Amino acid sequence: MNFDARRYVLIFFIAIVGFSYIIRIFYMQVIDDKWKLRAQQIAEKRKEITPARAVIFDRNGMKIVSNRTYFNLMMVEDKIKNLDTAAFATLIGWTVEEVRNRFKEIVDGEGRYKNPNTGKRTANYQKIRAYPFIKELTLEEVSKIAPHLENFPGFYEEVTSMRNYPYLGGANILGYLSEVTREEVDADQFYKPGNNIGRSGIERFYEKDLRGRKGVKYVVTSALNNTIESYASGKFDTIAKQAEPLKLGMDMLIQAYGEKLLQNKKGSIVAIEPSSGEILAMVSAPSFDPNLLVGRRNIRMNYPKLVLDPNMPLFPRPLQAEYPPGSIFKLVQSLIALQEGVITPNSSFPCDKSLVGCHPGHHASNISEAVQFSCNPYYYAVMRRIIQQKLRKNSNIDAELGLNKWHKYMSSFGLGKVLETDVSGQRPGVIPNSKYYDKWYGHHQWAFSTIRSISIGQGEVKLTPLQMANIAAIIANKGWYYTPHFVKSIGSKGPLSNFKIRKKTMVGIKHFEPVIEGMRRVVNENGGTARSARLDEIVICGKTGTVQNPHGQDHSVFIAFAPKNNPKIAIAVFIENAGFGGTWAAPIASLVIEKYLNRKIKDKDKEKRIIEAKLSNLKEIPE
Amino acid sequence: MRKEENLISYLDWPLFISFLLMLIMGLATVYSVAYTPEDPSLFDLDKQYGKQSIWIGISLFLGLLVFLIDSDIYRKFAFPIYLSTLLLLVIVLFMPAINGARAWIGIGSMGIQPAEFSKIASSLLLAKYISELSLKQQTIASVSRAIAIILVPMILILLQPDAGTFVVFTSFLFVMYREGLTFDPLILSIINKVPGFRFKYTWVGSHFIPILFVILFLSILTLLLQQEETDFYFLPFKVSGSMYVIFSLIILSIIGIAFIRQFGSKRDRSRVSAVILLGLVLGGGLSYTVDAGFGSLAPHQKDRIELFLGLREDPNGKDYNRNRAMAAVGSGGFFGKGYNKASVSSVESNHVPESETDFIFCPFAEEWGFIGTLFLVALYLFMLIRIIFIAERQRSSFNRIYAYCVAMILFYHFAINIGMSIGFAPVIGIPLPFFSYGGSSMMSFSIMIFILLKLDSQRKDVLS
Repeated sequence: MNFDARRYVLIFFIAIVGFSYIIRIFYMQVIDDKWKLRAQQIAEKRKEITPARAVIFDRNGMKIVSNRTYFNLMMVEDKIKNLDTAAFATLIGWTVEEVRNRFKEIVDGEGRYKNPNTGKRTANYQKIRAYPFIKELTLEEVSKIAPHLENFPGFYEEVTSMRNYPYLGGANILGYLSEVTREEVDADQFYKPGNNIGRSGIERFYEKDLRGRKGVKYVVTSALNNTIESYASGKFDTIAKQAEPLKLGMDMLIQAYGEKLLQNKKGSIVAIEPSSGEILAMVSAPSFDPNLLVGRRNIRMNYPKLVLDPNMPLFPRPLQAEYPPGSIFKLVQSLIALQEGVITPNSSFPCDKSLVGCHPGHHASNISEAVQFSCNPYYYAVMRRIIQQKLRKNSNIDAELGLNKWHKYMSSFGLGKVLETDVSGQRPGVIPNSKYYDKWYGHHQWAFSTIRSISIGQGEVKLTPLQMANIAAIIANKGWYYTPHFVKSIGSKGPLSNFKIRKKTMVGIKHFEPVIEGMRRVVNENGGTARSARLDEIVICGKTGTVQNPHGQDHSVFIAFAPKNNPKIAIAVFIENAGFGGTWAAPIASLVIEKYLNRKIKDKDKEKRIIEAKLSNLKEIPE
Repeated sequence: MRKEENLISYLDWPLFISFLLMLIMGLATVYSVAYTPEDPSLFDLDKQYGKQSIWIGISLFLGLLVFLIDSDIYRKFAFPIYLSTLLLLVIVLFMPAINGARAWIGIGSMGIQPAEFSKIASSLLLAKYISELSLKQQTIASVSRAIAIILVPMILILLQPDAGTFVVFTSFLFVMYREGLTFDPLILSIINKVPGFRFKYTWVGSHFIPILFVILFLSILTLLLQQEETDFYFLPFKVSGSMYVIFSLIILSIIGIAFIRQFGSKRDRSRVSAVILLGLVLGGGLSYTVDAGFGSLAPHQKDRIELFLGLREDPNGKDYNRNRAMAAVGSGGFFGKGYNKASVSSVESNHVPESETDFIFCPFAEEWGFIGTLFLVALYLFMLIRIIFIAERQRSSFNRIYAYCVAMILFYHFAINIGMSIGFAPVIGIPLPFFSYGGSSMMSFSIMIFILLKLDSQRKDVLS
């Protein structure tokens, strides 16, 4: 039997295998893009480079927020060999147990991935990936660890950058950063897990201006995720760009000085440049060192302490605390009454102490004196005329009309509504209107006599310290204001457009003169309530307030602007539970004004007295 | 002097040149894959390409020795050679395991793999045995001995374990088929035990291998195409995977019948046509059955088969190697990324494991693209068919059978090695001859080719 023909069978087999391989390879290499994409996924990585956050300067060009280099201790499990856990724990100052727990935490923290095809769950954690074992080590800490890391293969240090605050002031305003949440990652493609985002204050409001532009680097990577070379010689790469610096209207020296004055006190100082609306200083006392909230470790350690502190250092009082304004309210009342024509600058009302208590020894024969002496009965009479203009016979209906008109005036002063400044979270305060009282007493069930305590800034009326300072700025400007704001310029651009809109009050310019004269007398004339604020070379115009506090000692408040002609600074000082406005708030405001305008303090004794004073029933912080 | 003249004038140059071409291409690929800028020298012994150069040098020297030795020795000493490799295969089982297999004798990089050489020894003994066999009177004993020759080393190799080489040994079945060895004595001894059965001959027994090959080939092809379902606008139904196969079979049959009508003898015409038509019906039926059968499988069974065939992906799990390998091949494109520019399969990037040994096809395909792979596959096909051509011109059946052994072993390595890089074959680690880095495979394949060239050059000295 001859089997020679069988050679063709074998040749046929060989040919058919070779032929189908060629077709298959042609399909894979030329027609189907799937494998090219797969190769890209495998070997080409898109690396994002996060630039350092923009720095922040104060109005005088001092760098008040910068970045500092930190280090992460990274770990690649696959490269760890014969780890001496005890020695490693000693090196980083942990216990062996803590090291083990941290390993577990990293592995578990990555979560699990559910394969949509097979339904199998696999850990996201990969042994070949680098994970931060300890985050945010300082240079000092890492310099103790790094030299020994060669004994622990699989561990290495990596540079990162975090916020640094060379001056300790302004913690509540500047805000802090923390890691983005999953929701934030989903909402904005800019963020990747592990990135930081501004959590409060200016850091949050100007997040997009501060974060800069991420760089993208396409690289060819190995299976161990090491970079081998840049992809296509860097043709598609973009460079990370730090955002241009922010410049604040804040004067860091004044801010720090204000914080020093308010040590051991509870309260606020808000200083505004009237001509621009820039906030020169915003002190919230007690405050905290902004460096306490830099980085995850610090936040984890310090945040709970700050939250639990009974003195509430995290509470930004100037923006969120609402207080009855007390006698400083009389300034606005005077202006409204003059504008409404219910009084003239020379109107006189007797100091009738049967209406409301007042201090003795004065008679206000005109509006300036009324301001100077802060005569309570005078303002009852003024307010009665504003509210009950006798436009309707029914006094209840008349009061409703009058109150709503008054409310409109107040609104034009930025009161009873949120001043949309560039740190979010302000409170609007309270300026009651008819609806407000309808809820309390019923429709048309109230008249001036019911609500008269608001005449002198007590009762239902409430203002934030920012609003108080803005009143001073409005009076300094004689009738208008820019919304108070922190940021003077973003890179080469000016402030946000809504801070360039000049807002007018409903009060004409001429009505301000007698009120300002009264404010001058408050500080500079005998019988004024803020003689303690007087300065020899600067004419301060101010108004004290002593806010009656049913829960404890009265609050001390003072608003002012200076100098009288061409004012440079408008200020509000509010000290909780400190007593008379003239005793504490006025001299503090005076010191800040002097420091700002003269850069030095003449009366060192006054300064010393203020700094050393412990007021406001401040609670001891339990350790 | 006479011998020298003989060698040059009787050497089969096409085979020799294609062999040398592959050595050069292989070394160039190993160099490119393992290249690092720090060690640019081809002869840097710290790198794979340095060692590979040495292996090639040794292989060529061994080839020269083969040429100098009288060709008669292979037939005369086939059995001692076979026994000594068996001994080595036993010894290797007592060696320390490297990567989970006891495959190496010797230390470190200077070790050899006896399994590689046992392929030559088995080829020689099989050639000797079958050539001395009376094919007209095959008995249970004669068939069993032939099977034993390949089965003994297979078992020893499986003990290492080395699944790749184990599978390669089945290539000898193709050789047996060519030589007319039939399994009939074995099959008949079983079948005829059934009362009433009195067969003298079973078609299956003598055509066992091509039947198996065709069944496997058609089944895999059907399964691979099983997910493809195309909606041609001019057809009222969807074209499924098995339809593609059946359609291809019809076209092949038409070509085959046309071919036989043109060139075949009168007797062949009707007979071959009938066989082709029968094959068409059976093949079509098989394809349809496999398609329908697969559809009725339980999901987890489907899963396993799909994973095996690379239809289902588990890129970071069981399918890691194949997935990376296919990505590397596919990313080559038409013209390739250029020499030394493999980004997925270089040793440095290490996405494709064993890219300098078992997956050497990946960097080659990545760097040279379809142009390169087409050339490579064509070169292999040329070499295989040339060896069969050489086999058929031998006067001695020993020479012919040996040549077929070489052809089929190389065919297996070619088909499985490239197949696993393109998702057509399961991932079992066997080298691509003349390409893959490794001393034992380089030496054994070279010696294999040189023995063939030597036998061929002296074919006219053989009388029978």
